[in-house]
Parts: sequence; C-alpha cells; structure tokens
Amino acid sequence: MTADAVLAPGSRRAVSREWLAGHRWIWVYLSAFLTWVAISVANGRADAEVIAAVFSLAPFLVLVGIGQMFVITLGDGHTDLTVPNVVSLSAFVATGAMYGADGSIARGLMLALAAGVAAAALSTIVIVGLRVPSMVATLAVGMIVQSATTETASRFAASPDPDLATFTHLRIGPISVLGVICVLIALGFGFVLHRMVYGRMAQAIGQSKAAAELAGVPVGRVVLTTYVISGCLAALAGALLGAFASPSLAIGEPYLLNSIAVVVLGGSLISGGRSNLPGIWGSAMFLLLLTTLLNTLSVGVATQYVIKGVLIILVLALMGAKKDR
Amino acid sequence: MSVEATVPRDPGRGMSGVIESFRSSFGPTEALAPMALILLIAVAGIAEPSVLSVSGITLLLSSAIPLVFAALAQMCIITLGDIDLGTGYFIGLVSAVVAVHLNDSPWIAVAILLGLVALYAGAGALVQLRQIPALIVTLGASFIWLGLGLSILPTPGGTVPGWLVTVMTVNTPVIPYPVIVAALAGGLAYVLLIRTPYSAVLRGAGSNPDAVRRAGWSLVRVRMTAYGLAAVFGILGGLALAGITSSGDTQASANYTLLAIASTILGGGRFTGGRAVPFGAVIGALAISVAGSMLALIGVSSNFQTGVQGLILITVLAGRIVTDRSRS
Repeated sequence: MTADAVLAPGSRRAVSREWLAGHRWIWVYLSAFLTWVAISVANGRADAEVIAAVFSLAPFLVLVGIGQMFVITLGDGHTDLTVPNVVSLSAFVATGAMYGADGSIARGLMLALAAGVAAAALSTIVIVGLRVPSMVATLAVGMIVQSATTETASRFAASPDPDLATFTHLRIGPISVLGVICVLIALGFGFVLHRMVYGRMAQAIGQSKAAAELAGVPVGRVVLTTYVISGCLAALAGALLGAFASPSLAIGEPYLLNSIAVVVLGGSLISGGRSNLPGIWGSAMFLLLLTTLLNTLSVGVATQYVIKGVLIILVLALMGAKKDR
Repeated sequence: MSVEATVPRDPGRGMSGVIESFRSSFGPTEALAPMALILLIAVAGIAEPSVLSVSGITLLLSSAIPLVFAALAQMCIITLGDIDLGTGYFIGLVSAVVAVHLNDSPWIAVAILLGLVALYAGAGALVQLRQIPALIVTLGASFIWLGLGLSILPTPGGTVPGWLVTVMTVNTPVIPYPVIVAALAGGLAYVLLIRTPYSAVLRGAGSNPDAVRRAGWSLVRVRMTAYGLAAVFGILGGLALAGITSSGDTQASANYTLLAIASTILGGGRFTGGRAVPFGAVIGALAISVAGSMLALIGVSSNFQTGVQGLILITVLAGRIVTDRSRS
C-alpha cells in the first residue's frame, strides 16, 4: 500500500501535504534559517546582525530575481539572459547621468529604465516577431546591450551620487531601508502576478500557451509586458548597484546564473505557469547567508562555488521539483 | 514536429546510406548556417584578400575549434530536449586539468577526466530519476566545474604538453587544418548520434520519451549516455582550448555555454529535442566564431563587435521564418 492510499483526502496529513505542495518556498526559508543557525554556532553566539546585513545586501538580487521569475512564468523556455548586461549598462548610464553639476537622480533612474525597456522591446520583437527561441534571442540582445555598455564605459568619468549612495546604505536601527522597500516591491508584484489580469494571463500562457491563445489572451502583449518588467527591474537594480558599489563592466555578471537560481530554489516551476514571490526573498537570503557562513568558516572562493553548486542541486533533488508536464 | 524525428529511419548501410541520410536531413533550415558562414568568410575576404588562402582560413578558423566541440557537447544535451548551462566552465575546467596534470602525471589527468565523464553521466541520471529540470542541474553543475577548475588552477597558466600544442597547430597544405579538425569532429558526432543503432533510441527519447520507455528502453541509461557523450565532447573542447592557447584557464571559456546553444540552434537544432544536427552545430559554431573575427577585419571598433555579432545572429535566425514556412 502506498502512502498516498493511506491518506484519506480530508485527513490532516493530506491537508498539510497539500499545503506544503502549494508553499514550496517554505523549504528555502528553512534552509536559510539552518544556515543562520550554523553561522551562530560557528561564531559562538546567535547574531541577528548577520541577518540585518544580509537583508541590506539582498535587494539587488531580489529585484533582478523578480523580473526573471515573471519571464520564467511564461514557460516554453522563456528566460531573460539580458539581465547581467542590463544591470551593468544601467549602472553606468544612471551613475553618469547623476554625476556633476547638472546631474539628477531622477534623470539617472529614468535613463536606466529607458535602457531596460529598450532591451525588453528588442527581445520581444526578436522572440514574438522573428520567432527566435527566447534563450537565443535574449542572448543576442544581451550581446548588443553589452556593446552599449563597453561603449558607455569607455567614455565614462563619474563617481556615484553621494545622496543615492547614502540611501542604499541607509538603515533605521538595524533594518535596511532599501530592504524594506524591496519587500514592498515584492508584495506589489505578488499582487500583480496573482490578482491582476495581466499576471493571470502570464500564468495561463505558462501553463498552456495554446489554451491561453484560444481563450483570447493577447500573447504578444503579455510577453512584451513581462520582458519590460524584467528589463526595468534589472535596470533599477543596476542603477542602485552603481550607487551602492561603483559601476564596472563585470558588475552584472553574477546576476545571470543567480537570478535563475533564486527563482527555482524559491519553488517556482522552471517550466513556467506557477511562480511565487516569497521564494525569491527566501532564496536570496539563503544564498547570501550561505556565502556568509562559508566566509565565516574561511572556506576559499573555489570551494565555495563547489558547495553552492552541490547545494543548489541537492535542495532541488530533495524538493523533488516535478517537471509538471 | 516532423515525422522523421519521431520515427527513426534506418538510413541503410554503406556510402549510399550515408548520402541518403544526409539528403533527407538537409533542408532549407540546415542551409542557413553554411550560407551565413560562406557569406561571412566572403566579407572577410573582400576586406582582407589574404584571408582567402590556406593560411588565412587556418588563422581565421583555428580559434573556433574549441567552440565547435562545445557546440557538439551542447547538441548531445539539446537532442534530448535538455539544456546544459555548464558547458563553458566544464571546458575551462578540462583546460585547467590538462595544464596542471597532463604534462607531469598523465595518468592522474586521465583519471580526473574519466571521473568528470562519470559526474556528467550522474547528472543525467539525476535529471531523469528525480525529474528535476536539466537547466537547474547543469546550472548547479556549472558552479561545481568553476569551483573545481579554480581550485586546480587558481590563476590562468600551467604547462600544456608540447605534443598537444603541436597537434592543435599543425599546418596542412590544400585543406586548412581547422577545416579538417571540424570535419572530423562533426563526423565523430555524426557516427555516434546518427549512425549507431542506439542513437535512434537517444533521438527518440528526445521527441517522445514515453514511447521509448514503453518500448522497454531505460530513460536513465539514455540520459546517462547523452550526458556522458556531452562530457566527452567537452573534454575534446578543453584539450583543443589548452592546445591552441598553450595554457589552462577556467574562466576564459565562460561564454561558450551560451554561444554553443546558439550554434546548435543556428545549425538547425530545436529546444524541443529529437533532432541531432552534428554538422549543423559545427558549421553554426564556425559561423558565430567567424562573425567575431570578420568584424575585426573590416575595422569595426572592438566596443561594437559583440553587439554586431548579436545582430548577425538575429538576422540569420530570422531567416528561419522563411525556411520554416517553405518546409511546412
């Protein structure tokens, strides 16, 4: 007799199992908590400052991750590979526009967002109009954005805006202000995904593109909106990152693989159609706490990569991510 | 999905079988990459006539050889409908192993490389057994390859055996050496993925896994085989990279991952799986690589080369709208 047969549909265990299946992001919060416990053990004291520090570092990955999550929700291999390049480009563009006597933060942010929208529009034209698979289309568009970045960087002479830099580091008590804002942004996008017509349509496309088309979902428009969301969030992350650290050509690089990792570790289906926002925050915290733990144990960078890779595979294998075919 | 993808044909024995299987698998979609390659070489030739000599072509194509193997590795995985996000770092790791161990202690190097093939096959088994998306397993694996590579060889360098450098930099008369290597690589993949009896099962598992499973084949074994083959091509790519650059570097080949995916798609492969395109992937890789060098020859500023390369990629793939329509 299998375990499923024993459980009557209405029994308490069946209900809790169903609840767990719908809230798979619980696992990544559990992993994050256990990692924090491990850090505390290594340090010899329970240290809440570790969490506060990670909370102030996570927003950049969270922003990019939310955008990537919306794209992955579309299913059918949709992945935004332009994000690392958009992050780098907007870091340069925004920092440049904010610098000097006539610089302004608003103009910097607007220019960064414009870059994100341009990349998204180009990706959508290639994907929807020319019917090139998403991964190759966004790779090619990413190459174009990369050229724009090297060109911008070659004539770049600016330093981060001091006000915005202060803001990205600002804390009220132990709590990072940017962190709180990004929690609100995540809540907002949770509403967009689950309650707004656009979000429902994006999920419908991910579950079955053919059915969504037959039901009258304007696929092209939803795809465009989705890539614009991803482009804008990557651009915003880049603009903030340019002030938080300082722009460099490689500043966006880690966001390619990490943005995909936070989506999937958070329990969203890589095959699309079912995504969740809490998982993005949980996974970003988990990955950063993991880095902190490995640094605390003075594990070398090379070994850190190996451990991170093994853990990504392990967490997924334990979660038993179904392909949902 | 085309019929020939779901029902593996028996191409027949001997030379006529080879020609027959080649003809039936070569349509307008497959012509895109060769046409692009010829066009790109022609443009390079107009800008710099010395390119159109044996030594010119050798120079133009030699740096493309590692990407050719990367594309073949990626193609093994894409044939199953999976995607490998670790190809680039894997090739870098192999070049590190080669540069550190192959010269002084060849047996250790061979043992490590065999272990890597086993790890790849294990990743394939994991994808099948736990039903985890390949994209994520290979994403995790890419961190592992990067970490292993950096721990073996923290900074680029090392000593590549002289014989390997010699093998990769031979100059042949009449036919440029990289063309011979690329043809041999494509031929090897052609034999392994199209001519062997088991390859029909492998391609079938890409287009219709349920049918293959019901026919009594183990999908775990199929995935382990395909991933193992990908590792073999990745190792050849790492050897080629180390031979050409005469050093090891884990991170230099990072962008091969995505370029290899693009090469395979350019060569006629499909993300849905079921289609093995060995020669397409080879020519796709050559075209993408030549696109980069051609732009340098016609004097495009280095800042814009990557961008124009992206534009060329989009333009060639846009040709698929026309060719796909003519096919259906």
